[in-house]
Amino acid sequence: MSEQIISLEDLHVLLFVVLPYLAFVIFLLVTIQRYRRQTFTYSSLSSQFLENKHHFWGMVPFHYGILTVLFGHFVAFLIPGTILAWNSSPIRLYILEVTALIFGILTLIGFVNTMLRRYFDDRVRRVTTAADWILYGILLFQIATGVWVAIGHRWGSSWFASNAAPYLWSLLKMDPQIAYVQPLPWAIKLHIVSAFTLIAFFPFTRLVHILVVPNPYLWRKTQVVRWNWDRSKRRVS
Amino acid sequence: MATVTLTAQQDTDEFFKQNCTSCHTIGGGRLTGPDLKNVEKRRDRAWLIRFIQDPQAMIASGDPEAQKLLREARGVVMPKVVGITKKRAAKILDLIAAESKLEKSRFAGLSLSDRPFTEEDRTIGRELFLGTRRLKGGGPPCLSCHTVNGVGGLGGGELGPDLTDAYARLEGRKVLGAWLASPSTETMAPVFKKHPIDPDEILPLLAFLETESKEGTPATTGSNINFVLLGVVGATALLFLFDYFWRRRFTGVRARLVRGQR
Repeated sequence: MSEQIISLEDLHVLLFVVLPYLAFVIFLLVTIQRYRRQTFTYSSLSSQFLENKHHFWGMVPFHYGILTVLFGHFVAFLIPGTILAWNSSPIRLYILEVTALIFGILTLIGFVNTMLRRYFDDRVRRVTTAADWILYGILLFQIATGVWVAIGHRWGSSWFASNAAPYLWSLLKMDPQIAYVQPLPWAIKLHIVSAFTLIAFFPFTRLVHILVVPNPYLWRKTQVVRWNWDRSKRRVS
Repeated sequence: MATVTLTAQQDTDEFFKQNCTSCHTIGGGRLTGPDLKNVEKRRDRAWLIRFIQDPQAMIASGDPEAQKLLREARGVVMPKVVGITKKRAAKILDLIAAESKLEKSRFAGLSLSDRPFTEEDRTIGRELFLGTRRLKGGGPPCLSCHTVNGVGGLGGGELGPDLTDAYARLEGRKVLGAWLASPSTETMAPVFKKHPIDPDEILPLLAFLETESKEGTPATTGSNINFVLLGVVGATALLFLFDYFWRRRFTGVRARLVRGQR
């Protein structure tokens, strides 16, 4: 019995200290290496194939959902005290939690749709690699546990601020405090572990497109795109 | 890091205060766990050191003494304290032995007022529980992880247990008060060590929890289902919004051409 408990502690160290650092090292080294050696693989690889009917119901909800949810996690990590202050009124807490859940469900719906399309559409399936399927598996797990935690272990926005944020900061300060996460339910711990796994796997996948989102698009002047030929003439000839 | 600046003795004192006093006193009577005064006269030191290091394992091993302790604590299992070692356990026993010799130990228990709870206590306690009145130490409000029947709305959190009958379960203000002074469950300990609950806030919280356990307010049922429903309805609404917003989106060429031919 006591041996089992000791090994559980080792497991916690492995999952919440070794894994995160390993993940970040892999992430940094491989993204840089890949950018230097294989610059033009930095892409999401188009999967539209002149089809927007099904793709729309995957791509749009997924991206709006995941961007909002990720932004939420990031803000709660950055300014946990402000989140707690916002949550100090139950009605505001409920608004934040319901909003987060809405976007979580939206992410899940969108993701399941893209997954189904990728599987059932022959043309898309043919360009889907093993790495893509592994990524789909981890991401599905990540999103599903996220929604599960939001519903089953409420109120995540508050305890994220009090337990998860200090843990993440402790990692950043090179003084990992796993006491914050060790006692949490397994659904939450698996969500965290799968997040680190995603970070480690990230540079090997098409997810790298996130790093090269057309960032300048956000501030550059709008461009007018115009075909460089005269339609009327073409019609005559 | 803090241990570097503390002497070994202060370190043990602090460790005992933070990890043991929520359930134990030295000469102040039983809380959740037994009074530790002269504990070594009752039990063998080697046994105690083994027990302190891993209470759960001792109970699971079927040790009769450990089983007896478990019954006396009404089934509350002593948590395994983070950072406990054989050496530290021995130091704690030394501390207990030294404190037991004193007429009144520093650890004889929280000096909590015996005055009856007032209506104001209950109101403040409720506000502290909900979070509308922030805890002075900066800790998260109870609602983050706990619920009680009288919360209403979408209810309280579910990371920790429902506290509706906590007051009754821990048999009143002394035990629950000591517990609040230094919450020692594994989830709460790291958070509240840094952000302790102010002594002035304990009485109002006790008052509120007493009311909750007495009043027998029916549980706010369906708050979880309502929460999920709100999420699903909101997500569906957004899907319709997307559909409307991108109503001129490109949906393919062929279908439109075929329709045009009819």
